[in-house]
Amino acid sequence: MLVLSRKVGETIWIGEDIEIVISEVKGEQVKIGIRAPRNIEVIRGELRKDISDSNTEAVIKDLDLFKNMKK
Amino acid sequence: MKLKTAYMGEVEIETKNILKFEHGIPGFEKEKGFVLLPIEENSIFQVLQSVRTESLAFIITSPYAITENYNLELDESIIRALEIKNENEVAVFAIVSLKDTLDNSTANLKAPIILNTTNKKAKQLILDKQAYSIRHQLSLESTKG
Repeated sequence: MLVLSRKVGETIWIGEDIEIVISEVKGEQVKIGIRAPRNIEVIRGELRKDISDSNTEAVIKDLDLFKNMKK
Repeated sequence: MKLKTAYMGEVEIETKNILKFEHGIPGFEKEKGFVLLPIEENSIFQVLQSVRTESLAFIITSPYAITENYNLELDESIIRALEIKNENEVAVFAIVSLKDTLDNSTANLKAPIILNTTNKKAKQLILDKQAYSIRHQLSLESTKG
């Protein structure tokens, strides 16, 4: 992973059209501004992880529930 | 083509019916092709079977069948990604996590699968700003079918 040190107000560009701005640092919290085209999805990591966990949990283990319903 | 499935043996599918998930879904990023298989007639549930991995399948249902007032706004990113031209070509599904009974089972209303029924492009959309549950219990409202 590429790791860069930045100060408040400094920016990082990713490709030609995504700009990341370090807008505030307060204790353990960092506020980050993201300027990206509207077709780029921006999602917090923990939310994506929750969805990923939920998908993993939803993989069918068996269809007995439906077989029983038919009886 | 013939497809080996996790729970329905070998089925015959048409290539044009394969749903194309360009980036897979979270947790299964390499799974780019799925097909919808009916469980039984008139059921609100269907199986979403991976084309690549025989053992990988999900149950999906219509979020509108299990909850009232499911309001979905498609933003520009998904409209572009799936090349949606008309709202009539959009289908919406929720992934179901089966438990010991259907009443105890849950549906993910926070991250519905959006399908463009015309070009078969699909994506699991994460509704960041809306307060839907990732684990919405099916028994909370009456289920049909």
